[in-house]
Amino acid sequence: MTKVLVIDDEAQIRRFLRAGFELHGFTVLEAETAAAGLKAATMTPVDLIILDLNLPDLEGSEVLERIRSWSNVPVIVLSIHADEHEKVRLLKLGADDYVVKPFGISELLARGDAALRRHLRSTNRDPVVRAGPLSIDLVSRMVTLSGKRVQLTRKEYALLHGLAAHAGLVVTHQQLIREIWGGHAGNIQYLRILVRKLRQKVEVDPTRPAMIVSESGVGYRLDQGAAANTVGGEFRTARMTHNVR
Amino acid sequence: MSTLQERRTLLDLTAGLLNNDGAQERARPDTLWLNLLAANAIPLVATFALVWLATISLVFVSYFVPLNLVSLAYMLPVVVAATQWGLGLGVVAAVAGAAAADFFFYPPLYSLVIRDPQNVVDLILFLLVALVASNLAARLKSEVVVSNRREAEIKELHAFSQGLATCLNSRDLIFAVQDYLSNALRHRAVLIAKVQEDLGGDETDGVPAQVRREAVKLIDTNALRASAVTDPRSRKTWLVRVILPDILGYGAIAVELGDALGEGTETAAQHIETLLDEATLTLKHLKVKEAIEQATINYRTEILRDALVGGVSHELRSPLTSILGSCSVLNQMPAIANDGQAKSLVEAVADQAGQLDNEIRDLLNATRITAKGVHPQLTWTDPTDIVSGALKQKERRLASHWVTLDVARDVPLVHVDSILVEQALGQLLENAAKYSPIGSEIKISSRCDGDHVVLSVQDQGSGLTPDEKQHLGKRSFRSDRHALGVCGSGLGLWIASTFIAANGGSLCAESAGPNLGTTMSLRLPVVLADTPELADALND
Repeated sequence: MTKVLVIDDEAQIRRFLRAGFELHGFTVLEAETAAAGLKAATMTPVDLIILDLNLPDLEGSEVLERIRSWSNVPVIVLSIHADEHEKVRLLKLGADDYVVKPFGISELLARGDAALRRHLRSTNRDPVVRAGPLSIDLVSRMVTLSGKRVQLTRKEYALLHGLAAHAGLVVTHQQLIREIWGGHAGNIQYLRILVRKLRQKVEVDPTRPAMIVSESGVGYRLDQGAAANTVGGEFRTARMTHNVR
Repeated sequence: MSTLQERRTLLDLTAGLLNNDGAQERARPDTLWLNLLAANAIPLVATFALVWLATISLVFVSYFVPLNLVSLAYMLPVVVAATQWGLGLGVVAAVAGAAAADFFFYPPLYSLVIRDPQNVVDLILFLLVALVASNLAARLKSEVVVSNRREAEIKELHAFSQGLATCLNSRDLIFAVQDYLSNALRHRAVLIAKVQEDLGGDETDGVPAQVRREAVKLIDTNALRASAVTDPRSRKTWLVRVILPDILGYGAIAVELGDALGEGTETAAQHIETLLDEATLTLKHLKVKEAIEQATINYRTEILRDALVGGVSHELRSPLTSILGSCSVLNQMPAIANDGQAKSLVEAVADQAGQLDNEIRDLLNATRITAKGVHPQLTWTDPTDIVSGALKQKERRLASHWVTLDVARDVPLVHVDSILVEQALGQLLENAAKYSPIGSEIKISSRCDGDHVVLSVQDQGSGLTPDEKQHLGKRSFRSDRHALGVCGSGLGLWIASTFIAANGGSLCAESAGPNLGTTMSLRLPVVLADTPELADALND
């Protein structure tokens, strides 16, 4: 059974997280402080850590750094800050993803799932990433859309590869730029245009992107079909129609 | 902070220089005559030198031409000495000149006896004219000195008042006053508040604890006399005096007199007190007290506002996180998911909590805008991502409307703060959902219009009256038509238009009239973006 450690000082939040995770078959460990969380993480092997940034005894980012000093267990950060710089900083420090409060349990589960899958892939070395109708073979570099082969330029593939390697998780603009252009050659303007070109080849409707999703001010995420169906859709799903000129 | 420290260091430096001056003053002998002589030694020597120079010149000339009006030539040293060094030395020059004329030029030569009565009259006349001239010259000189000093004082006051005008808070004001007093007193002066927090809790002003204690004691007893305190550690003497409340409303002033002075302390203290009286009178005229009080009030208001914003943010949003999170779990539990009534109740709770969260966010945004303004971080952004982001943000709010997209494929990138624009567009969607009937269409479109990208939200709702259209986007404006039916703070559109304006864009509303729907549009400027480097960068 997948074991998740929730480090949050607020009992009410821990309570609904426990209920939500247990409903989906996780075993839940709780910690009220950073110290207790770090201790629990070292004593028991856990598969996933949900870390609140506002802990009474230690900065959340400090906890993250300490965890990362000895473990690459997936960590999802709970943040109340809508500050994009802070999000980018946390991702740089090694967080797998973040969820901004208030959030629905499905959103957190989707992020957790994605982080667990990436972790598993790095140990299993499964080369194929799927997102809806899109399939990317990271070894043979073959990309297919609904079974049909898609021809990508080298840079378009580099972009897709960067996203697919962290499928379901946010990848920062800077990380993508570095992976595609290396050094200091790229910038966000190039990245935006390249994303547009890639969307035209892989998205069903490039004006309403469903797979290559932008996280404002932070980066992009390759949204995997299963996750996309649950994210934010736990209450009702908007009826949408498209009318593209 | 660094400017304050710089100012501090500067103050310390000035104080050090001033103290050195003081040390030199004190090193001089105490006897009055010797003092006077020492102070005037150089001018005295110079006066005699001038007379000597005049004599030599006259002797030299007299070899070639017979001289008649010798005494006239001696007027020159008199006028120079009187204008340069005052009446006293003018008189000295006159007497010395008369003596030299008698000795060298009036027969019998090389004696102070004068034979010719005509020469006696000549010499007496010279002395009279010289005395009057030196008196006039000296007076002129002292008037110039006074007017120069006045000019310097006015300049200093002007600089001080300008300095006051640039002060943003009470802390800066107090430092400006300290600087001014330090200059006026020619000694380092520090203002000491009874309650230190009024200054922003500063303990690093270098005033010894003992001096501070004495100041507080004087403030407590409201003592009118000044008190000299010597700090045992640094051996420096400080003069401490209460400042009357109608001048600064502040507490006390401590003036550093320098090393322990012994007998001279009292004279120095009296001197400083006189200067202090003058300086504080100036402060009173400049209404510094009122300025400091106003600044203190502003400072406290700001602290309160920040505390409120921080508090609201945490204390209100944290329970909301639990409520919304719990609802999302409840909604998935089989017992609720299979019970229509229970499910709809959970949805209602979640909707209302979401609405509350939205209102809190508006409140926080409004407070931040008022307190700090908007500082957009411009980056290249795809308008498609702005539309998707805003739609995702308002997904639940739009769930009971028919949302259509009309997106042009060739919309250029915009150079904006994507988060601010996304929030603004989200607000337009929020309003469209709020003011149009359930099930009606909300159409989102993006297009390029000349050198602008236009993002529009069109609804089939309650539309706008001409009056509403005029007031739309003003802070806290709410139409009377919706005052009872639809909840809201009237902040949303004001925030949206502020965000868009900060990005160099504009917000506009169109409506054919009440109940005929509204189209709200964001216009964002397009910056020319196509460069040869861009094509290169995208090529493999």
